[in-house]
Amino acid sequence: MVETGIPKLDEILGGGIPKGKSLVYYSQPGVEGEVFGMQTVYNTLKSGGNCVFVVSSTIPDIVKGLFKEYGWDIDEYKDRLCLVDAYNPLIGAPSDEKYIVANPDSIESFNKIIIDLIKELPPSTIVFGSLSTIMDLCGEKETIEAVRNWNKMAMLYNHVLVYNFTVWPYTNQTLHLIKEELFNAVISIGSIAERVIFGQYFGILKSDWTKETKKSMLFRVLRPGGIKLFIPKILVTGPFDAGKSTFVHALSTRAISVDRLGTTIAMDHGHVDYKGFSADIFGTPGQERFDPIIKLLSGESMGVILVVDSTNPADFVRAKHMLDITKSYGLPYVVVANKQDMPGALSPEEIREQFNLPDDVPVVSAVAKDKLGVFEAFEVLIDKITGGT
Amino acid sequence: MADTIDMVDKLLADLKNIGGVEASIAASRDGLLIRANMPKEKFLASLAAMSATMLGAAETATTQVEKGLPTRVIVESEYGRLIIVGAGPKALLIILANSNSSLGLILIELDKSAKKLKELLK
Ligand SMILES: Nc1nc2c(ncn2[C@@H]2O[C@H](COP(=O)(O)OP(=O)(O)OP(=O)(O)O)[C@@H](O)[C@H]2O)c(=O)[nH]1
Ligand SMILES: [Mg+2]
Repeated sequence: MVETGIPKLDEILGGGIPKGKSLVYYSQPGVEGEVFGMQTVYNTLKSGGNCVFVVSSTIPDIVKGLFKEYGWDIDEYKDRLCLVDAYNPLIGAPSDEKYIVANPDSIESFNKIIIDLIKELPPSTIVFGSLSTIMDLCGEKETIEAVRNWNKMAMLYNHVLVYNFTVWPYTNQTLHLIKEELFNAVISIGSIAERVIFGQYFGILKSDWTKETKKSMLFRVLRPGGIKLFIPKILVTGPFDAGKSTFVHALSTRAISVDRLGTTIAMDHGHVDYKGFSADIFGTPGQERFDPIIKLLSGESMGVILVVDSTNPADFVRAKHMLDITKSYGLPYVVVANKQDMPGALSPEEIREQFNLPDDVPVVSAVAKDKLGVFEAFEVLIDKITGGT
Repeated sequence: MADTIDMVDKLLADLKNIGGVEASIAASRDGLLIRANMPKEKFLASLAAMSATMLGAAETATTQVEKGLPTRVIVESEYGRLIIVGAGPKALLIILANSNSSLGLILIELDKSAKKLKELLK
């Protein structure tokens, strides 16, 4: 297996791409699609594999600069990375690379290099920086025939082939072949503007070695950082003084709160970068007089964290009511049993009983002021949101 | 889909071009950033969330005392101003301007843009 390095994608693919298989990142114009192949290159190198990167839409030096921008030091792995320069010859510039496609507008020229590499190299991850550029220069039919052949050979020689492809207006026949036939797996990448969620997503269109999943995920590209799964809103709510603001600050890489006289009067807002996820956290006030604001803030949440003070069962009714006013039922949610350091704190089991919670709602014990249990709660919720294990 | 994004970007760019305007942002009523034209990206998400809260709090306050819905929220601060207007039921527009900007001109353009944004997000 070769991991793609794209968060969650490897998990859905059952661990990654099996040796001998091919995968295409099928991206709509205008979205950040190129970074997918690059992240797979870097991830392969980092985990000790060999890699070929075919550069065809710009000069290799610019590509190296891009890797740097994402925070990926490829120089460190120079001896296991082979860059194929399919650009400089096109503009008549000299190339410093060892492998050069002499005539990037002829598929023969590509065939010569790629087939040699497939035969000579130990099992590697071969990534095409832009299949669409090759198609534009060499012709659609010609390129498709070549790709068909490369994929077959890669199967025999145990390589993994990964292609970045931008969906320009090619013939329907070409697009159909790419989407349905040519590759073992197709990952579609596009943009959405749905209701008020504006962003980019990826999803699995096809994969012949796993059960198909139609689920798609929002992502963001960070510089540095690369592709992160994006969760636009996680709501942190709960009764007065339960420790919501403390929780948001403990979890966040950076956070702000509008607190006056020790209580939240507007909201807490934080940002978390953790294990491939990039999430924005909205913390509500707790006191009833702010209920209009609590309602206002809770729309479009992808998941909810209900924080309760484990020493204060008198507030559990209010806590349940808050799930109601935030319209959290139906969304994935977890209960954080906070202040476990205090004498008389109820155990998570006792809290589950008192709340009469369904079995699939996790209760996580926490001491938010000491950052204990905070990331556990986040992870459990993320797993529920992304439908993971 | 991508077209809506482009159109919102255009609307924000037009607002940004008004003299003295430093940033223009579209956010959802519940505080999510939609799109922005602003140099300091890091603070965008919180600014969107805070602005939605301010407008929401203002709306709750004035309607409860039967004064109707506020037309806008204007925050005058030490080095400039922050203006928030509703743009239909889903969205709002936020403008950051320096102290030398012409408030009247900005408000006229902002109201027009708010109507347009409402249409774009229908
Ligand atoms: N002992 C203990 N105290 C905690 C813990 N977490 C928070 N606190 C304290 O509980 C008090 C309230 O914490 P906040 O985070 O402000 O609570 P909140 O839920 O945001 O409160 P409101 O916004 O007013 O509803 C503060 O004094 C915190 O220091 C904890 O795990 N253990
Ligand atoms: Mg608080």
